[in-house]
Amino acid sequence: MNVEISGAKIFARIPTGIPVLGDFTINETLVVSWIVMALITFLCIFLTRNMQVENISKRQAIAEMLVETANNFVRNNTGTRKFDKLIPFVAALFATSVISNLISLTGLRSPTADLSTEAAWAIVVFIMITAAKIKAGGVLGYMKGFTEPIPVMTPFNILSELATPVSMACRHFGNILSGIVINGLIYASLAVASSAILIHVNSTLAAIPILDVGIPAILSVYFDWFTGVMQAFIFSMLTIMYIANASEG
Amino acid sequence: MGTQDLVTIIPWTFIAQILNLFIQMYLIKRFLFKPVNEILAKRQALTDKEIRDAREAKEDADKIKAEYEGHMSSARAEAQQIISDAKKNAEIEADRMIKEAETEAHGIKSRAEADIEQEKKKAINEAKDQIGGLAMDIAGKVVEKEIREEDHRKLIDEFINSVGEAS
Repeated sequence: MNVEISGAKIFARIPTGIPVLGDFTINETLVVSWIVMALITFLCIFLTRNMQVENISKRQAIAEMLVETANNFVRNNTGTRKFDKLIPFVAALFATSVISNLISLTGLRSPTADLSTEAAWAIVVFIMITAAKIKAGGVLGYMKGFTEPIPVMTPFNILSELATPVSMACRHFGNILSGIVINGLIYASLAVASSAILIHVNSTLAAIPILDVGIPAILSVYFDWFTGVMQAFIFSMLTIMYIANASEG
Repeated sequence: MGTQDLVTIIPWTFIAQILNLFIQMYLIKRFLFKPVNEILAKRQALTDKEIRDAREAKEDADKIKAEYEGHMSSARAEAQQIISDAKKNAEIEADRMIKEAETEAHGIKSRAEADIEQEKKKAINEAKDQIGGLAMDIAGKVVEKEIREEDHRKLIDEFINSVGEAS
């Protein structure tokens, strides 16, 4: 039995004629991303409907709790209120990440199982970190930062600077991809196992992968739920901490 | 319909995802943070207002209380004043009455003394007259002869006076 684990499906290909960028492909990643965005936005609108100052509803309590949690997350991790502007960004990052990771539970392919997604986020964060550093120390200060503590360290400093977004993207992507790979392997192996057991009973029954019912769900508690939430949390946490550190100069 | 490689970065997807992230940020900001923060700010304002109102009410109450206490203490002082005035007046009045009574009593006493003196003189005089008459009668009876009234009277007076001096 062959097990095939492939990348996102490509639904349509729009030629753009731009050299490096290539064709614009409407693939599973983008479509599911849009679904995720619609879901988050719908949820936000739903939660904040009919808000009151007093006698709040459960929905409003949840909305307020989410906002307070985001505020506290950013403020506690940076220790100041200087980064309040970043709260919606971090919230968007976390929400998109966590919903993208968990949407695989519905059978859709996670947008985060495509390195393009994480690379995009990591680049945005990298640009923000760099901007914060330049803002804190000026362009010269930023350049000079690479030669510290001694000029010989410059290549390593540049490398470590570039490693930040790469490691962020790869960490997230790797965790989600490994979940997909392991889930695929488990499904396939359980199907083989169930046919091996049921072949003794009846050859038609052997075609039904009975062991695939239930058992993968237990494993998905770790590979989808835990990893999904954890990676989203780590990504947001690193984002805010890197930016906070960067602006301290 | 093909599939893309398992680990790859598609440039357009990459760009689209950057844009998606920012669109998502805007949507979350617009539909979650803005309304919730507005509500929180409103609630904050309401709470602040209530605290301020309560403080103002307390200040008013304190002012009224101070005023009331001021009134009370001045009223008490006034009452004290009235009482002490009344006492003083009463004392003065009592003194005056005692003095009056004393002077009156004095007058009565001295008048009484004068009366007594007069009565005494009168009595003495009467006694003198009666004794004189008596003596004259007795003497007339004793000597049994008519004595000239004037000589006689002179004699008796001398006698009485000597008696009066002796008594």
